This record gives sequence, C-alpha cells and structure tokens, in this order.
Amino acid sequence: MPSPASRSPPLLLLVPFLLLLLFSAASAWKKDEFRNCNQTPFCKRARGRKAHSVPSLSTADISISDGAVVARLLPSQPLRQATDGDDPESDTVPPRPLLLRISVYQGGVLRLHIDEDASAPRRRFQVPDVLLPDLDDRRLWLSRLSSPAAGSSSFYLAEGFEAVLVHDPFQIQVRRKGSGEPVLSFNSHGLFDFEQLRAKKNDDEDWEERFRGHTDTRPHGPQSISFDISFHGADFVYGIPEHASTSLALRPTSGPGVEFSEPYRLFNLDVFEYLDDSPFGLYGSIPFMLSHGARSSSGFFWLNAAEMQIDVLGPGWDDPAAPAKDRIDTVWMSEAGVVDAFFFVGHEPKDVLRQYTGITGTPAMPQEFAVAYHQCRWNYRDEEDVAAVDAGFDEHDIPYDVLWLDIEHTDGKRYFTWDRVLFPNPQEMQGKLAAKGRHMVTIVDPHIKRDDSFYIHKEASERGYYVKDASGKDFDGWCWPGSSSYLDVLNPEIREWWAEKFSFENYVGSTPSLYIWNDMNEPSVFNGPEISMPRDAIHFGDVEHRELHNAYGYYFHMATSNGLLKRGNGKDRPFVLSRAFFAGSQRYGAVWTGDNTADWDHLRASVPMILTLGLTGMTFSGADVGGFFGNPEPELLVRWYQLGAYYPFFRAHAHQDTKRREPWLFGERNTALIREAVHVRYSLLPYYYTLFREASVSGIPVMRPLWLEFPADKETYNNGEAFMVGPSLLVQGIYEERQKSVSVYLPAGQSWYNLRNGVSYAGGVSHKLEVSEDSIPTFQRAGTIIPRKDRFRRSSTQMVNDPYTLVIALNGSFAAEGELYVDDGKTYDFEQGAYIHRRFIFADLKLTSVNIHPANLGGKFPSDCVIERIVLLGLPSGAKKAVIEPGNREANVELGPLTLRGGSSPDAITVRKPNVHIADDWTLRIL
Amino acid sequence: MGAFLRISLTISCLSLFWISASASIPSRESLGIAPQDLSYYKSDVIKCKDGSKKFTKEQLNDEFCDCPDGTDEPGTSACPQGKFYCPNAGHIPLTVFSSRVNDGICDCCDGSDEYNGNVNCPNTCWEAGKVAREKLQKKIATFQMGVTVRRQEVEKAKQAFAQDKAELSKLKSEEKILKEHVQKLKEQKERIEKAEEEERKKREEEQRKKREAERKANEAKKAFEESSHDNSDHASEILSELPNQDAMEDHHDSAIEEKSDYTAETEILDSWAVGKQVANDHDDTIAKSGDETDDTSEESSFSHVEKQHLVGDQEGTMPEANTGDYTRSKEAPSSHVVEEGQVSDNTEGLSREELGRLVASRWTGENAAEEEDGVNTVKEERHEHDENIPEENHDGYNSDSDEDHNFDDDDLEDDPDMEFGDHGEPAGTYSYNGDDKTDYSDLTASGSLSWLDKIQQTVSNVLQAINIFKSPVNISEADAVRKNYDDSSSKLSKIQSRISSLNEKLKHDFGKDKEFYSFYDHCFESKQNKYVYKVCPFKKASQVEGHSTTQLGYWDKFEESYRVMLFSNGDRCWNGPDRSLKVRLRCGLKDELLDVDEPSRCEYAAILSTPVLCVEEKLKELQEKLKDANANRPSVNDEL
Repeated sequence: MPSPASRSPPLLLLVPFLLLLLFSAASAWKKDEFRNCNQTPFCKRARGRKAHSVPSLSTADISISDGAVVARLLPSQPLRQATDGDDPESDTVPPRPLLLRISVYQGGVLRLHIDEDASAPRRRFQVPDVLLPDLDDRRLWLSRLSSPAAGSSSFYLAEGFEAVLVHDPFQIQVRRKGSGEPVLSFNSHGLFDFEQLRAKKNDDEDWEERFRGHTDTRPHGPQSISFDISFHGADFVYGIPEHASTSLALRPTSGPGVEFSEPYRLFNLDVFEYLDDSPFGLYGSIPFMLSHGARSSSGFFWLNAAEMQIDVLGPGWDDPAAPAKDRIDTVWMSEAGVVDAFFFVGHEPKDVLRQYTGITGTPAMPQEFAVAYHQCRWNYRDEEDVAAVDAGFDEHDIPYDVLWLDIEHTDGKRYFTWDRVLFPNPQEMQGKLAAKGRHMVTIVDPHIKRDDSFYIHKEASERGYYVKDASGKDFDGWCWPGSSSYLDVLNPEIREWWAEKFSFENYVGSTPSLYIWNDMNEPSVFNGPEISMPRDAIHFGDVEHRELHNAYGYYFHMATSNGLLKRGNGKDRPFVLSRAFFAGSQRYGAVWTGDNTADWDHLRASVPMILTLGLTGMTFSGADVGGFFGNPEPELLVRWYQLGAYYPFFRAHAHQDTKRREPWLFGERNTALIREAVHVRYSLLPYYYTLFREASVSGIPVMRPLWLEFPADKETYNNGEAFMVGPSLLVQGIYEERQKSVSVYLPAGQSWYNLRNGVSYAGGVSHKLEVSEDSIPTFQRAGTIIPRKDRFRRSSTQMVNDPYTLVIALNGSFAAEGELYVDDGKTYDFEQGAYIHRRFIFADLKLTSVNIHPANLGGKFPSDCVIERIVLLGLPSGAKKAVIEPGNREANVELGPLTLRGGSSPDAITVRKPNVHIADDWTLRIL
Repeated sequence: MGAFLRISLTISCLSLFWISASASIPSRESLGIAPQDLSYYKSDVIKCKDGSKKFTKEQLNDEFCDCPDGTDEPGTSACPQGKFYCPNAGHIPLTVFSSRVNDGICDCCDGSDEYNGNVNCPNTCWEAGKVAREKLQKKIATFQMGVTVRRQEVEKAKQAFAQDKAELSKLKSEEKILKEHVQKLKEQKERIEKAEEEERKKREEEQRKKREAERKANEAKKAFEESSHDNSDHASEILSELPNQDAMEDHHDSAIEEKSDYTAETEILDSWAVGKQVANDHDDTIAKSGDETDDTSEESSFSHVEKQHLVGDQEGTMPEANTGDYTRSKEAPSSHVVEEGQVSDNTEGLSREELGRLVASRWTGENAAEEEDGVNTVKEERHEHDENIPEENHDGYNSDSDEDHNFDDDDLEDDPDMEFGDHGEPAGTYSYNGDDKTDYSDLTASGSLSWLDKIQQTVSNVLQAINIFKSPVNISEADAVRKNYDDSSSKLSKIQSRISSLNEKLKHDFGKDKEFYSFYDHCFESKQNKYVYKVCPFKKASQVEGHSTTQLGYWDKFEESYRVMLFSNGDRCWNGPDRSLKVRLRCGLKDELLDVDEPSRCEYAAILSTPVLCVEEKLKELQEKLKDANANRPSVNDEL
C-alpha cells in the first residue's frame, strides 16, 4: 500500500499545501512558536527582580496547630508603593495575609504550604492525586517550637536536622543540628513574591495575554508565585526534567558569563525536532531538583502543575565581586497555584531519592517482557508487515518481546478501533505473536475525533466529559484525527469511565497480550498556543488549564494504566508508555524522551536525559533507539543499539518517512553487531529485573549517575557520558563517528573488570581505551555479583526456565556480593511474597546464597531454575574444583569463556554445572 | 502462552540430566546432528569446529556450552551459536537455531526440537511435505513450459534486434543520400524564392500605384473588390507585409500550398492577430481564434493544436492555458514564494483548521507531500522541454503529458498511427506506443522502385526542368520544387527521428541473450485499489491515481544478474528520498506485474512474472530438489 504521502492531490488543493511545504522545508525546531521568558509576563517580572527587591513579608501568629507549624505572612513594613515601572501588575492594594503551614514527615521531609486565606476571590488550585494517599500517616506530630535566637523559631525535622523559621523578613532554613550548617533555605535572597487574586483595578485593566494570534483571556488576572531556594554545600544541582541536555548537572541560566539565557522551563510541550541542548520545555515536567556536593545532598520539590520557570544562578549572580562557594541559588517561578513545597535533607544522595519517592511513589514493578527489547515504527502498516517483521527477527535470531503499532493502525485515528483493511484480524495477529511469547502495544491518545458515529466521542460529548473552552463549549482543537476534543482527565469520574474502555469487551480486537502507549498527552493541540491547549480552557471544578497543564498527561497516563489494571482484574501489571509526565508518573508506567533525531548529539543527550528522569523517580525510561527523525548511518544505529541496550526502557522507533531500519537491513556485519547488542540486554535481564525490583521498593533508579554510587568521588559529579546500571555495571557510551579511542573515568575505591575481555582496571583514574565496533566499554565493579542468563530465545518468555550464570568480580579482599530477584514476571502475587530474593555473598573462597525474602511475609515462588555456570573474575588461578553443600556434591572448575557470545573472549575461571537451585540455600566452596 | 507459562513454571526448569523422551528421538550422541556430520562426533575426544577447544564424548549435548561455536551442543540450547538439525522425515530436513530447542514452540515438523516434555509437538512432516512437493511440482511445470516460451522469445528478440540493427545501418546510409538531395533542393528553392521575391516586389509596386489610383477614383468600389479576394491570396499578401518575414517563411509556404489543415490556418490567424492586420471580411474567423486563445478549455482538436504553440511560444503569459498540470503548477510555487516571507513568521492569518493541518504536516508531511507534486511536475516539465529527442520518445506514453507534446514534424500529426496506448486500455500488458511507433511504412515499403529512388528521380527531373533565371517564375515549376523540398526534408527528419530512437533503444543492455528486447516496447500495468501502477522497462515507472501521476522512477539498470529492474530518481518525497522502484522478476508463463508495494517510504517494490526468467538451469535445480524431497520420503508413508 502506498503511504498517504505518495498520493497525488487534485490540482486545486495544491495551493494551501504549498504554503505548508515552505514551513516543513525549513525544518528543525520552531523556536518562535514557543514563548520565551520575556514573552511570558510572570516570568519576565520575576526574572527582572534583584535580590531583596521584593517587599518583604514577616511572620505573625506563629503557633503549633494539629502537629504542624502555622503562621500568617504580612508585609514587613507599611507597604511601599509600586516599586518601578516595569512591574505593571504589581499590587498597590494592601495584600491580605498569606497562610503558612509547615509539616514534617518521617525520613527527613519538610513540607511548606503557603496559600491565600479564605477571603480570596477564588480558590487556588492544589494538584490532587500526586502525593501518596498514605502520606499523612507518616507525618510527624510537632509539639514544640524553640527559639534559638531572637526573631526565629526552630523545630525538629529529622535525626541531626532542624528547621528554622526566621520571622522578619520571613525565611526558612533547614540546617544541621549542632553545627548549624545550612542545607536548604527558602527566601534567603528575598525573592518570594505571591501575587494574590484580586478584582480588576478598573475596567480598563487588560489581563489578556496574546501570543502568535492566540489570546489568553486570563479571567482571573495575575496570580504567579516566585521564590528563591538555596542549596548549601552543593557542587551541582540536577533534575527538573524534561530538557534536552548533553550535561548531567544543570548549567547556570543566569549570572556572570552563563551560556543559557533562558531559565529552565517546565511546561509540557510537543516540540517538533527538539534541540539536543536547550533549557526549553519538552514533553514532561517534574519540579524536583537535587543537589549534591562532597558534604551534602539535598532536594527540593514544588508540587505545582502550572507553567514553571527555574533559574539556576551562577556564582556571583548577586554579587560578582563575592561569588558564593559551595552554594547554588535557584529561583522558582510559577504562573499559578500555591506553594506546596517539599525539602529533602538527605545525607546521601540515595536518601534524597528515597525521600522524594516516599511522597510521590516508587516506580511500578514492570512485567518482565516490558524490560526486554521493543520494536516500534510509525508505522507497521498491516498484518503482513507485522508478520514479516516478526519473522525477520526469528530468521536473524534476534530476540524481541514487543511489537508496536502507531496511529496508522486505527480507523481514521479513532483510538480503540482498527483499520479493517490493514488489520482485518487483530486478535489473530496478536495471537500469532503471543504464541511466540511476544506482546503487542497499540497507541491510544487523549484527543478524541469529533465524529458523532464514534462511540467514544458520542459518549464523551453526551456526558460532558470534555475539557471546555473559555466560553464553556467543548474545546475543539486539531490533532491527528482533525477536529478533536480532549477528555477532562482531572475528573476522577472521567478517568474511571476511560479506564473501562480498555476492557476486552470494550476494546474490540484487543487480547490479553496487548498493552498501551499514550502519546500526545502534553496535550498536543496542533492549532493551539504553543501546540498545546489554551490556558483559559476549563477543567473539572472550574480549574483553568493553566493551573494543571503539566499534570494533564499524568492524569491521562494514570487513567489508562488503571484501565489495564481493571482489564486484568487487578492481577496483570499494566504496561503503559507515556510521553508526557509529571511528578508521580513513575507509578503508572514508562516514559520515553519523545521525538529525538538520528544524530550523534541526540545519542549523547539521551544519557543525561534518562539519568535525570531516573533521579526524579521516572526510572523506566528510554530514548528512541536510532533516533525518531531522520535516517541514522549504520554506525550510529549500531552505537545506539549498543547504548540503548542499557536504557531501562529499550525500544527502537522511527518516523514514518524514514527508511526501514529493522536490525537486519544493514548488512551482515551490522546485523551481527545489533544482534550482539540485543543479546547483551537479554543476558542481563535477570540483573535488570532485580534492579527494577529495587527501584520499586526504594526509588533508586535502574540507570544511575556515577555519583549516586560514588557520592564522594568529585570526578563523577558531572559525568553525563557514562552511567551505572545498578551498583555493579558501568557503561560508557560512544558518541562520535569512527571513534578510535575513548577516555573512561572509573570511579575510585574499587577496581573494574572490562566485561568484554576480563581485564582489570584501577579505579579513580581515567583510562584511555581503544574503541572497537563490537561493543561500547562496559565494566563490572570489583566486589559485585551479576546474575545473567546466557541462553538466547525468541523472547524473554521462553527464557523463564533457562539456567543462570553468575559473574563474580572479586575485590581486593576476594569478596563480592550481588542479588537476584525472581517472580512470575506478570502478576501482583509478589506482593503476597510469591518471589525469590537471594543475596549471593562470596568471601573466603565460599559462595553463599542467602535468602533475603522476609520470612514473615509468607508466600513462595516455585522455581526449579539452576545456576549452570559461575564465572570468577580476579581469583588467583589454581582452583581445582568446587564442593557444594548441602549434598557434598562436586563440580568441575575449569577455564571457560567470559561470555558465550560473539568472537573469542578470553577464558576465566569457571565453575562448570554447579546446578544449584536459585530457590535454595546452598554454599559452594572453591578448592 | 499463558498455559504454556504456567505449565513450564510448575514443571521442571530444565532437564539438565538427560531424559530420554521417547523412542522416536535419537540418542543423545546424535541429537541435533545432521547425518553427514555424525562421523565427526565418532571419536572420544572431539574438537570444536572452530578449533578453539576439545571436548569429551560425555560433554556432547550435556547442556553446557564448551565450544563457543556450539560444536558440543548441537542438540541443546546451551550454546548461543549452535544449530539444531531436525531430520523431518517426510519433508525436507531443517536446521534451526539452538535457541529454539526446548523453548516450548514447535519449530521442526517432526517435533524433534521439543523433547523435554513441556510441550507436545505432533509430527506434521508428511502433510507439510506433501504440500511442499506439490508446490514444487507446480513450479517445475511452470518452468518447463516457461523454458519453451522463453526460447521462442529469445529467438524473436534476437531477430528483432538484428532487424533493428540492419534497419539502423540502412537508414544511416539513406540519411546521407537524402541529406545531399535536400541540400540541393533547398538551394534551388531559395533561388526560386529570391526570383519570386523580386517579382513580387515589382508587382506590389505596380499594385500600390494601381490602388492609389483606384482609391482616388472610388473608395467604395475598392472595398468591394478586396472582399472578393480568396483566402490564400489575401493571406499571402498580408504575410508578405509582415515585418519579420523569415520567421514566417514556413507559414507562407503552407499558405501558398493551400493546405487547409488546422495547423496552418491557426498559425496564419495567429500571425495575423499578432500583426494586427485585421481585415474586415475575416472578423468572424479572427474572433473565433481570439476566443480560443482566451478560453482554451474547449477541447477541440483545433485548440489542441493551438496549445502546442501556446506552450512553446507564450507559456509565460498564458496563465489560463489548459496545458495540463504543468503550466499551472509551475506557476504556483513562484506565486507562493512571494508569500513565504509574510506567512512563515506569522501564522495568525490562518484559520484554526489550517493551523492545525499545518502543524500536523510537520510530522506527517501528508499535506505537504501533496504539493510536492507541484515541485515534481516542474521537474517533469523540465524533462519535457529540456531533453532531446530520445527523451521525448520516452515521455510519449504518458497520457498526462501527451497533450503537451511538441512535434517537430508536422506530418506526424496526420499520421493515423499516432495514438497513445494508454487511453482506455485495459490493465495489463500493452505496447509501448511512443512516437517511435509511428508508421514508417513509407520508409520501409518495398516496391518496384524504392522511395529513395523515386525521390532521386524526381529531384533530378525538377532540377533539370527549372530555369531559374526565367522570369516571371513558372508557378507550377516553383511549386514542384517546393513540394519536393518539403517531401524530402520531411522524409529526412522522419529518418533522423527513427535513427535516434533506434540508437536510443539499442544502447540499452537487454541481457545475455537479448531476452529483454521485447520489453523495450512494452509496459506492464497493475491495478491496486485506487492506484494503477505502470512499469515500462528501459523507460520509467509511475503510479497513477485518477488524473494525477507520480513518477516512481526512471530506468536505471538491471541488478542481481538481470533478476531485478531498478527505476530510480522518481518524484521526490517530502522529507524523504526520491522515489524508486525495484521490480523483481520471476518465472511465469505470461508477463504480469504483481504485488506492487511500498515497503519503505517512497521505496517501492513489485514483482514481474515473465517467461524470460524461466531459465533452464533453475529448472534443473528444482527438479533436483524434487528428486531429493521424494528420496526423503519414508517408504511406509509412500502414497504413490
């Protein structure tokens, strides 16, 4: 079938399309289409302020109420008149007092809440359903305020930490008890500004904002909030995705000699051909920032879903003559909402992640298949195409688990339907894949085609389930199907209704092996301002779109994920990939970095982007392998597979105009290289799955910046080229064409084993290594044990029964440790204890399998799987055999290959067929 | 899968110690080993095939990978690079990746790859083998017939090739002779014309004097007399007064010859209009001409002819001319380029829907792709106008462009064979009807006297008969010279055009046996949904939807030793490559275009079945294969 683009139109239609070509031809990022800070009045105003220039507030009536600190905030002195001319919307009416409330939660979390009082003309929006429902149970009951010095009150925060409320001018500081060393401070630069809701000063006052022909009526006027946060003891700050960046640490956006001139923007946008390095907003927003330095780690999270702009101020921003050391100042600006902010005091960086995911949730435990390799393209055209691609993988012995269908599979972009010409037998098609243990994913977007014969539209419009425009009518925007409306997923009732649509009865043609992809949920509105929804659109409860914009995609993702949960009667773990995200999205599925481009810089940027997502809770993330736009050279594609095989979410995807790029289309050599890359991932699946378990328990991401594992090693702090997979593997990407050598920094404290050749390298040093086309440099940290499966199957499903290999990398004292987690890979039975969790400990030439499944949990996961091979790195030669207890069985020790795949790998000491069961306790002694 | 999972989870993880599954399964020592390999595994210590290691007989198929290349585990999944051999008695043996062994999926029709008891694979080899053999037999039957057809085709192709070559050399020698004659006639003609010119000037002078006198005498009477003049005289008079006489020479000639075909008349009227020599008594005709110039949508043959001139002469000033898509679409980009500056910076002028479509098109290119045809047609037009004669032949088959054709040789228009094949032809194979299909019978007809002899005779007669210094010029003699000149030069240009089209054809590679020679004059068509695909080997391939045509590519070359025809450099794709088409050839009893597909955006693929591919070697190969398949049949199951 020819693609739509190959049609030739009637002549008369040409004219408007010619216009379009002119736009498309000048491809790349449409900078003009997005507002910069200067075009965004609240941002411009806030950014124009100098330190301590905002009329200050003082606290009054400080007390403890209901276990929390409460106070009122009032102007410090008689109000000055509007300060200067460039602040046209500043308030000349005396403001009402603001209400302040500070609560403290277990684990070192301080929550600051500031809102207007009940006399405000309108209730400000507070983002619902993001914080964990049990959060309140973990609140500490404050009972006492102390007064360490005149004009301040302090109270307990956590072991070794206290918080100080400075009365006038109002300021909050989190500090170490005893030393008084500050960790975090709020308003220490006097930039806190809270625009209170009010009536128009006179009828002439113009609250409208216009941008590129779009008018935002702004019926409630200015209501922005801004403040400064200082991270003390910080060398770098990280987080606040999503921005494309080749730097892991956030670069300063303001101050002497900074590169970026715009603040980091958090505003969920569908950006066509985004740049690889820019502070502008992308598809998702998580207003969570972490800081790390040799002495301290901390974090700050502002629960606010309106447009946010964040400046990271370079040293000397306030006083070029005396740049601050060991402190990073930031300014946070939001268009609306309230202050509902969380301070995380750390000690270690992992503590900060635990604290953050303690309030927004840890990542959901994915199904095992979802951790394997995904094959996607816009679009696999029809059932024949699907069958051919599926067969291609088998023919070339490349495993894959999931085949994806993009928007073209639908009947006219009506989601939940099938193009019956291209996909006449969707169930049969899914059945064929499922027979090989494979799954399918179809796309379901939030825009609903305005077509009265489409049941979703009919129901949604009859029930009034759509977002309304400023005039109160169903909002009508343009997206893939043409004229479309958008479900108001802020409303829990609508989310419930939506979830029902995923039942097998409702989603005709779906089967239990079908999962879902949510795209365009920023939401993308082609004819809207900044390709999104007008800010004055109205949601459930009279909430303006401006107030919840960044969370729209989150609610949609949530509703879809709950739909799959319902579909499987609460037993089948959902898999939903979303493009838009917000704080908390980790509870509902995976995300990816959207429409990237097939070039080397986008390959490079993928690592800092995914690491940043991981730091902010979204560990199940990846970038499109190969690059969405454009045609990668085979070398780039191969390098992308080699790197992408280590992404937590490993999916190849491509734009419909690109050449086909299934792995076997680039000659035998490249096919072999890609096969090898995919095999690496499949062999590490037991390790990845164990890491996903860890993430789902602790919030520690699967793919980690080096400094998360080596917080004391300063060399690692801004390394965005290499990363850790779990605690044990270090991966260095290759980001340049025909690169001959690469410098790899291996963190201090341990030595490292090259996983290709077993050679050991010292830590704390940069090593210049030759680069081969076979693989990217990968190292196992000494002192770790990695579980693998070295047999390859069509998909992860057939690997369930396959035996394991343990790779033990010994440290200087000939010791090592590692974990293995196994469950059924599908259901929630693990919550009842149906899983195997072992810790392998090697010490004194003895390997012990220790059960770390808590006995009190009960439950059991049966498995007869055994360990068929144990590879020992760093053991002095001379080992003869192994003796296994219980049973006093012997196993041979010999030289065997480090990996069974490709080429010649040097031999390592190998225990042959110990055949110990992973479910059992045992010891294995090397003699 | 669910069931499988549950079963396999609860049953044993892996049969690590050998389980002899059933009697039909070979012993551990031979499991997964091809019969011809069995001897390799005989000894007690066996080498890995890659030479890297040795292993003992106990290590053979012991579920532990000792050889990186998989030598020691042909019957298990332990080695990632291993291969498993299924005997598949009753069907053809199969070698599968060892990753398929005991993975719960039946890969071998004899079920031998699943022996650990987790899944029961029925033996389907007999059924599958039967089907496969029948298919093979059918294929062989096709090949057998095809080989015969092919032989005939090759014979014909060789003959046609030889004929064309012979014709070419004959035409070349004729061209040489004819050129000389034409030159002589031309000189003669020019001399006559010079004489006529002088004579006419003299007459004009006389007439002028006479008219002046007459006007003075009676103006009304003069008017009456003028209107009684006949057309051609009048025309010639007027033309002779036109300033650029050289340019009008041909028109003058045709007028004098009293040719009443539309071309001549139109041209005269055109010229007239241009010269503003509007005579009262021709008002009607002139008005008609004017109408047609303004409103050429009227599809008369008259306007058809006229358009050719408009395209050639007045393209730039005739925006309304209905000359097919080309003129208009060529206009379109330029008129919008002007707007670009205003629009690209500001989308405010667009309606909501336009804006939506515009943004959507960045990803899809869908709408934008439609205007690419604007670009393409410009390219197409370039093909039309810029390229030399052979290229024109090339274009000749295209129904979209045939209205635009410029024919150098007026005579061709009268040629009854000058029809384009794709008007209302049924889908399928058809002759390539370009202008090289023009009837050249007068060039090749054999008679008592060849046409060349006749011309030679006539020319010498004419040249002898005329005394050019005689004055006034004898009208009939002058006409004879002119007629001879016209005839000869028209023949010459026909010959030249034929030579160049033969040259164009013969320069191609038609295969080892010239087996593709007949393809040159054929197009193959296939209708798929709303599209009609046309493939004209050695020329081009296109996709037609209604009235619009997308070029999928121009002839590039054969690939894969004449098994693939490649057409490349077709119309450009938005955000993509130029379109291209790969036509895979396969043996079939008749020429048939099948399965046109677009596996990758703008990269098309098709299959052409044709006897040309039914080669004997392949037939032998297939027969061999069938023999093997039959030999593998277990005797008990032998139904025959």
